[in-house]
Amino acid sequence: MKGLIFSVKRYSVHDGPGIRVTFFMKGCPLSCWWCHNLEGISPEQQTVVQTRKVGEKEFHRDEQVGKFYSTGDIIEILERERIFFEQSGGGVTFSGGEPLMQHEFLLEALKACMEHGFNTAVDTSGYSSAESFISIMPFTDVFLFDLKHPDDARHVEYTGVSNIRIIENLRMIIDNGKNVMIRIPVIPGKNDDEATLIEMRDLLMSLKRDNLLKISLLPFHRIGMAKYNKFGLAYRMNHTMPPSTQRMNYLKHFFSETGIKVRLGG
Amino acid sequence: MILTDRVKRLREQSLNAVEKISAERALLITAFYKSDEAREVSAPVRRARAFEYLLRHKAICINEGELIVGERGPEPKATPTYPEISLHSMEDLEILDSRKKVSFRVDEEVKRIYHDEIIPYWKGKSNRDRIMGLMTPEWLRAYKAGIFTEFQEQRAPGHTVLGGKMFRTGFLQLKEEIMESLSRLDYLNDFEAFDKAEELKAMNIACDAIIMYAGRHADELERLAGSEKDSRRKKELSSMAAICRRVPAHAPETVHEMLQHYWFIHLGVITELNPWDSFNPGRLDQHLYPVYKKEKDSGSLTDEELSDLLGCFWVKFNNHPSPPKMGVTASESNTYTDFCLINLGGVKPDGSDAVNEMSYILLDVIREMRILQPSSMVQISRKSPDRFIHKALDIIKTGFGQPSCFNTDAIIQELLRQGKNIVDARNGGASGCVETGAFGTEAYWLTGYFNLTKILEVTLNNGFDKRTGLQIGPETGLVSGFKTFDDLVEAFRIQVRYFAGIKIRGNNVIEKTFARWLPVTFLSLLVEDCIANGKDYNGGGARYNTTYIQGVGLGSITDILTSIRYNLFDRNNYTWDELQKAVDANFEGYDQLRYDLIYNTPKYGNDDDYADQQAVTVFEIYYDAVNGKPCSRGGVHRINMLPTTSHVYFGSVTGATADGRKAFTPLSEGISPSQGVDSNGPTSVIKSASKIDHLRTGGTLLNQKFSPSFFEDEESYSCLTSLIRSYFSLDGHHIQFNVVNAETLREAQKHPELHRDLIVRVAGYSDYFNDLGEDLQNEIILRTEHESV
Repeated sequence: MKGLIFSVKRYSVHDGPGIRVTFFMKGCPLSCWWCHNLEGISPEQQTVVQTRKVGEKEFHRDEQVGKFYSTGDIIEILERERIFFEQSGGGVTFSGGEPLMQHEFLLEALKACMEHGFNTAVDTSGYSSAESFISIMPFTDVFLFDLKHPDDARHVEYTGVSNIRIIENLRMIIDNGKNVMIRIPVIPGKNDDEATLIEMRDLLMSLKRDNLLKISLLPFHRIGMAKYNKFGLAYRMNHTMPPSTQRMNYLKHFFSETGIKVRLGG
Repeated sequence: MILTDRVKRLREQSLNAVEKISAERALLITAFYKSDEAREVSAPVRRARAFEYLLRHKAICINEGELIVGERGPEPKATPTYPEISLHSMEDLEILDSRKKVSFRVDEEVKRIYHDEIIPYWKGKSNRDRIMGLMTPEWLRAYKAGIFTEFQEQRAPGHTVLGGKMFRTGFLQLKEEIMESLSRLDYLNDFEAFDKAEELKAMNIACDAIIMYAGRHADELERLAGSEKDSRRKKELSSMAAICRRVPAHAPETVHEMLQHYWFIHLGVITELNPWDSFNPGRLDQHLYPVYKKEKDSGSLTDEELSDLLGCFWVKFNNHPSPPKMGVTASESNTYTDFCLINLGGVKPDGSDAVNEMSYILLDVIREMRILQPSSMVQISRKSPDRFIHKALDIIKTGFGQPSCFNTDAIIQELLRQGKNIVDARNGGASGCVETGAFGTEAYWLTGYFNLTKILEVTLNNGFDKRTGLQIGPETGLVSGFKTFDDLVEAFRIQVRYFAGIKIRGNNVIEKTFARWLPVTFLSLLVEDCIANGKDYNGGGARYNTTYIQGVGLGSITDILTSIRYNLFDRNNYTWDELQKAVDANFEGYDQLRYDLIYNTPKYGNDDDYADQQAVTVFEIYYDAVNGKPCSRGGVHRINMLPTTSHVYFGSVTGATADGRKAFTPLSEGISPSQGVDSNGPTSVIKSASKIDHLRTGGTLLNQKFSPSFFEDEESYSCLTSLIRSYFSLDGHHIQFNVVNAETLREAQKHPELHRDLIVRVAGYSDYFNDLGEDLQNEIILRTEHESV
């Protein structure tokens, strides 16, 4: 079996503990307004025009977004980085897109990784069936779990899907004793008003906090903007600016009241 | 540690002082060589008397408020010249005066002195002239073509670091050792006994000279104390005078005495001649710690006093720009830095962790002083605590390139392989850029950079150099006649052996010129076992004698060989004819081909075995050609892999290359990948770089670029620490983190193809800088400017 992966990042240091390799898998059921990983949305291979310069001259080449990797390919890449994992307590992270969109491959890959002694992390939107989560849980050391909005209606508005199943999955994972790191994108005007923040914090407080290792606050940024054209999509965040450092520090303080470690950035 | 007002003032003074040429030393050495004192005596005695003459007559400079005294020139940054080594022409002086970068002001008076007195006496008589007259036509052709450089052409041999002994020994004791050695001479059986007696006599003169020089400072300090109105400064001056009466005659007993003691030694070495890498206190935290501890426990040294002393000491180094060069080496090593590399951490002689309180104090000094010189490094062993590395990262992230990180365990193994005993190996470290040495016991000379890429170019042209139009190497065959890639490798092996042979032959002659005409009787006092052997440092007197040739451009040559292998032999993407035409045309009109060479060909630095095996092949060829060949001081030749800035010069003599590099642009440096081709991140670079066997070198240099955001918090530090420890567990010798500044990012906007490795981070996300839209690039540049403050 093969998985469709659009990027492999080595020396990935903010996608779980230690030095990691992150595989970005294609396909995502959400369509967040602020998405910066546009390559991850479509579950199909895509072709985009890549522009490269040699001196002053520009070359335009068709480039495939997404390559098929077998589990063996993945293990081979990871073996090359093993020494860094061992030194740092790192390992592999499957991210996306939504890695559970390729559930069967993910399961196979996670099993293989665990067999080879690699620490495993899954970076997920939480939007998948409970069964799929149950199946990968034994082979996942830590989940990086996104919480984008506590209010269901607004979650639907900004991401295209309901958050009910997401929150249920989160509770289930935690109740099963798995380690979880929460990732909250901070999107000015979308999920950072006082009421939303309080609701978000209450939600976190209602969880079994022993297994919540960390809350990462990811400030909105405009890095993905340039890609929208390339993928023929409309950018909906034209009028939103990144939150200030002061604001982020305030939020760090705000979420620290949960008693969970809070970090700015990944 | 916070800088005291005194240190702030001295630091400012040093930063603002203008580099200029002083004619003082040139005048004194000329007067001495013309005098009767210089005639009819053996070379060591002549040189010792010259040393004495210089120290007796050079001006004494004591700067306002300073606690450590002594300048190489008559004032800070007044830089002497060494006409007996190499003579600046009037034209050289004009260039030094007017060039935009790394200039030295040359006053009309200095020009007049050079024109009327220095040049007429020394013309044709400097050691540089001697060397050039002794080299073979093959050597001269290769040198001109840019196959190698010659270190000793403009400076005396150096690369020696003070060991612990000299921090515990006064020169009066050395005089006793000299007498003892003299008394042991066996004229019946040792036919060198007379030579040894002359050397020892000369060493004795050098001892007296340095004590006399300290005494002159004491006299001046007492005079100043007499007229000083400020009672606090008056007291300081008196106590400084007392210190200069004690050291370096006697062993130092306080931190202040140790620093002053070292400084007189340092000045002695760089006044006697202009050895490479000036001179170096080496493992400073180890030397200072016991005395510091005693003083601190007894309450005789406050934190503020310590801060004052160390700050004053640091400024001293910065007052001494590297001696100005001439000709080709001006671009080869274009810097004021004189490569004095202070070592911190490492292990003790018994093998236990050596990091101590003084290691941390000195890291503070480095951070607060933030000056070009002295340079600094941390020795990291398996036993070093993470805290020590984190503290170093704290300074590294500010982006001034210090301290660099070295692998103590590798250094020790390198030294043991070379035959040093375990204690000498543990007392060792790295000096200059990255060079391994047994401190206080080894004379390890660097003799020149070796342009492996150029040799490949010559191989591809059947021994012919297109730039100089000369057949400089043997005819090893046309590429069109090579059936396999291995045939090309064999031809390259023959060429490397040929040129290494020329270089080694030259080295063995040049080393003898220094032994015969320019012994260094003062430096010989400092390096064991010159006194016991009755032999000069320049004549094989040290316990260990090593001669290095430095390989340059591993990344470039690997990429070129890989490209030829891939595109020509394995994939048949292009014919040799096509490649050669494109290279000859400097890729004008061959954009598509160049695109393929740059973007569609495997490159070193990505943990790709296909490319990296060429690095190993080149390394082994180079190693075999040099390692173990005798040097004329009784030791052997070794290799190391470092460029300083010679990759720029070597690039400027090398035409376009099959990796897509344009003609006469810089080669890769050290063992780092070619500029910007490593697109898999730092772990892959480390994997590639550790495929060569560092332990059989005397040092390798790896640079790695990072944006400041990789240093943002504890977690980032832990990952960087793991990265360093991983590289070191793979026997990597050295890694330096260049924290990318805004200027580099702007440069990357202009030349994206040279910066494909540049990764920048935005919170929670990172990307290749090249792949970002221009507006975003600008935003990141602005932020980076902010972060690097």
